[in-house]
Amino acid sequence: MRAELHLARRYLIGLRRRTHVATVTLISLAGLALGVLALVVTLALLEGFQSSIRADLVQRGVHARVAPAEGRRLEDPGRLVSVLQAALPDVSIFEVVRGTCLVASSTDAVPASVIGRSDIAAAAVDRTLAARLGVGAGDDVQVISPRTRLTPMGPLPVRIEVPVEQVRAPAPGAEQGSLRLPLAVAQRLLWGRPVVEAVELRDPADPWRLAARVRRAVAGVVPGVEVESLEQLHRPLLLALSLERAMIFLAVGLMLVVAALNLLCNVAMIAAEKRKDLAVLAGIGLGPHAQRRLFLLLGLGIGVTGSLLGAGLGTALSMVLDATGAFPLPRHVFAVSSVPFRVAPLTVGVVVAVALTLAAAATWLPSRLVARREPAEGLRYE
Amino acid sequence: MSSAAPHDAAAALDGGMVAAPGRPMVRLEGIVKGYGDGATRVEVLRDLDLEVGEGELVAVVGPSGVGKSTLLHLIGLLDRPETGRVELAGEDVGGLDGERRARLRNSMIGFVFQHHYLLDELDARDNVALPLRIAGAAARRARARAAELLEAVGLKQRSRHFPDQLSGGEQQRVAVARALAANPRLLLADEPTGNLDLASSEQVFSLVRELHLKAGLTSIIVTHNEPLARRCDRVFRLAPRGERSEYVREI
Repeated sequence: MRAELHLARRYLIGLRRRTHVATVTLISLAGLALGVLALVVTLALLEGFQSSIRADLVQRGVHARVAPAEGRRLEDPGRLVSVLQAALPDVSIFEVVRGTCLVASSTDAVPASVIGRSDIAAAAVDRTLAARLGVGAGDDVQVISPRTRLTPMGPLPVRIEVPVEQVRAPAPGAEQGSLRLPLAVAQRLLWGRPVVEAVELRDPADPWRLAARVRRAVAGVVPGVEVESLEQLHRPLLLALSLERAMIFLAVGLMLVVAALNLLCNVAMIAAEKRKDLAVLAGIGLGPHAQRRLFLLLGLGIGVTGSLLGAGLGTALSMVLDATGAFPLPRHVFAVSSVPFRVAPLTVGVVVAVALTLAAAATWLPSRLVARREPAEGLRYE
Repeated sequence: MSSAAPHDAAAALDGGMVAAPGRPMVRLEGIVKGYGDGATRVEVLRDLDLEVGEGELVAVVGPSGVGKSTLLHLIGLLDRPETGRVELAGEDVGGLDGERRARLRNSMIGFVFQHHYLLDELDARDNVALPLRIAGAAARRARARAAELLEAVGLKQRSRHFPDQLSGGEQQRVAVARALAANPRLLLADEPTGNLDLASSEQVFSLVRELHLKAGLTSIIVTHNEPLARRCDRVFRLAPRGERSEYVREI
């Protein structure tokens, strides 16, 4: 192995003595480096946006939810809250009702999610709903429930008028506008009595593991309830983010495949160029396996250099673009002020590993062909 | 038997021909080898028999295209005959796989090719050290041995020069040193003086013969140079198709 390594190193360093091979090798190397760079920067961009979405989820969303296993309302929410408060004193706990109502302003009426929670003191609409209804803080909106009440004119939908105190950013992944109400108001609107549908919890210190703590707290103490984790509550959004990442990786990763094919041509060219050398090396005892290893090392030498170069440049470029805020974003549309780039070391590692695997695969075919030749062939055609 | 070889070789220094081979180092029987298929097939060697005794210095002569290089490639395990038997030091090597043939080439056979065939990317010292590196020797030991050999061929001062910085004769002397790096028992030289001027030819041939004697090698040299062939122990004339290839006393 030491001889093959020595020869591969000398071949790569000695390429400067053979200009045309050196040029093609440099193109292969640059192709691989560019492919890796593009993938690293693209994934850093994606990670930047996705991490801001995930951070928003953690910052503003619910981290766990306890709901009845059957039916829509909790049998004894007071006891559940007491148990949770005792077991998890450092966690915020809210009683919740949710539903869909028609929300109307003087100009329009649209369906919206209505959320009543015990920590909400005043009505707030999100920007999506505010824009659709043309309302802002200080305006009144009519909320019309699907629930009816009997009147002398027959059953009529329950309706209330609430003043909008605040306009908030929409919840991550929310498509429908939302209206947040104090729990008592929402209970009256949706149920007509103090029903609690679920208990929601927030623990910004450890949001991703809160559900497990909640499950331990209620297990065997509060029967007939189900605990949903942060992942389960936002499964569609998180799945969409994962799918987006996988698809982008595959699409941009095709550049690496093209670079690997270029490497294959390059190694095949070196194999043709070195036909005589290989015959001589075989003549002095370099066996078929060692010849194959030599070419794999050559391909991997180009692959490792190109991949590390691309990964280094990609990481540096992403960090510079993020630090300088090179691409500003309109603040009223996005939660961040500029296009965020975030380099995840694991992602860079995966990109480099994929690039090296492709480089090894691209080198495998020519190295196999080289090892199959009878040594005399190379001498005969010189 | 083998101990007699250097004496026989010494006798050959005066240009005499030694008829009796020692214990066979190389034995070929019924060798057939051709190239191409169908109408384009050219049969180069047909029913060839050859025996070279241990310690002998044998010249192989014959017209161009008669199969001298092919014969050397078959003996040196660089190629396989279509039919026939190849024995080296009494062992039938016909059935060996590529890896075992490579190991044998590395440990037992030294090659000197017509066009020196040094690796352009390596300097003279690393070229000579290469067979030892392939055999698994540490770089330091291989380079020390290479330095010894380069000194023996008179190129100590040129050890860090690359092939394109050496003259043709110097390149061929480096190739001779490389062929001897792994202490082979069999030296195969394919027209080692073919591309050299008279003085360089004489220098390289004398070097080969001297090292052959010193190391007690069995050597087979393919050559067109009749005066040099006469200075070998025996001369094997490879004949065109239809004629018999055999050892000859006169060229």
